Amino acid sequence: MAGPPEKRPTVVRDALHTAALALLLVPATVQAADSEAGDKIDLTWLQYGEQSRTRIAEPVVRFTHLMPDGQSFSAQLGIDIITGASPTGALPSGQVQTHTTPSGRVVTSPPGQIPTAPFQDHRLSLDADWKRPLGRLVITTLGGHVSREKDYQSLGANGEVSVDVWHRMMTLTAGGSINHDSVFPVGGTPAGLSDGTILHSSANAKRVGNIFFGASRILSRKWMAGVTGSRTFESGYLTEPYKLVSVMNDNGQPISELTDKRPSIRNRTSLLFSSVYHLTDDVLYNSYRYYTDSWKVRSHTLEIRYRHQLDTDTYIEPLLRFYTQSAASFYTVGLHDGAPLPDFASSDYRLGRLQTITLGATYGFAFDDNPGNWVVRAEYIRQAGDSSPPGAVGIQRGFDLAPPVNIYAIVVGYTFKY
Amino acid sequence: MKRTVARLLTVLGLLLLIAGCTTVKPWDRDLLAQKRMSFNPTPMLQAIDEHIYFSKEASMGGIGVGGGGCGCN
Repeated sequence: MAGPPEKRPTVVRDALHTAALALLLVPATVQAADSEAGDKIDLTWLQYGEQSRTRIAEPVVRFTHLMPDGQSFSAQLGIDIITGASPTGALPSGQVQTHTTPSGRVVTSPPGQIPTAPFQDHRLSLDADWKRPLGRLVITTLGGHVSREKDYQSLGANGEVSVDVWHRMMTLTAGGSINHDSVFPVGGTPAGLSDGTILHSSANAKRVGNIFFGASRILSRKWMAGVTGSRTFESGYLTEPYKLVSVMNDNGQPISELTDKRPSIRNRTSLLFSSVYHLTDDVLYNSYRYYTDSWKVRSHTLEIRYRHQLDTDTYIEPLLRFYTQSAASFYTVGLHDGAPLPDFASSDYRLGRLQTITLGATYGFAFDDNPGNWVVRAEYIRQAGDSSPPGAVGIQRGFDLAPPVNIYAIVVGYTFKY
Repeated sequence: MKRTVARLLTVLGLLLLIAGCTTVKPWDRDLLAQKRMSFNPTPMLQAIDEHIYFSKEASMGGIGVGGGGCGCN
């Protein structure tokens, strides 16, 4: 008769592994458990849903080949299956509204409700990267990306180098990426702030470049902290071609709709502070990000996670995230009939004042008779905008212009080495 | 104002990083060697979250390079 699985050898092996890594002088940026040679497969499945809006299923598989000299090659394939509806940006009305989508579908919105448009799409993405140590103190990473969806294509490359300094008490990292994206809206590219007049049916270029610098250091036997500064430069077609801006009369009644129009340049800056603290068995993760961009969006993000270790392979990790942003300079709830058109305008709620709160937890575990590790993460995300923004006039003051968006996201992941 | 805040935060970050001259000896790094002491011990879950927030908020960045463009925002 088979007895209970023997776990002791695993514990001893893990302890020896950890001790060996410690003697190898752990850099401030831990590279620990992936340093063993072999192959590894990661599988994740995301199930995402917004109440009465978008639903996404996203399976991802990642293969990593780990070599004895510390090099690793990874390839990742992901598929997004997206269905549902998203707000058009138009204002609600006291009457039934109809709207024709770019694909020719006529959509009806009930009185007083935010107009939404149904959509469906598939996104296929392929990522690859090559990590290579140069000596004992330097690690370089090169990567590439390609993704394709119905109306968007992205081609990208990225690189990163990290150097351990000061007896490996500190790790300095620098990196960057470039993306050459193309936007080809269904039905053609509409002129900005027009009634939907199609300009052309060819692709619109969008360029994205990013650079970042980071430093992390060991503060004590139990504490590591880091700071990363990042600049992102975007240019080209940055408009959301399917979003609309309502034109309303003095009473707030929407009388027509114009297309969205955004500036063709956007420069983003972010600064991220991170801390990891070991509390004997458990680990506390904190981060704060400050973000600002040339569209005058400014945001603050605070995240706290607490990993409670139940045994060697089992843990539970609650998380809390709070995010708040200011509105973009050209964000408006709607335009006024007869007033001169602005250079840019968007009613996309994601560019308005917004707060997001996330509550979630990750549970990690392993089966005794199975070589891999499992994780299950469940998150509840609630977004709230400005329900009665200053630009709302007349009947719009009686509507909730930013009803809370309730979102759930569940991820199941499995990792095994062989 | 924006630059002032960014510079201030940068200085605070640098102060944090150089604060104290304590050196943790190699044989005292057993806890730091654990994978869970990484800033991002579950990168695939982190990438999924970043993708969600990128599609639902106006901000991005700070986590590092990698991943790619998306028409979701």
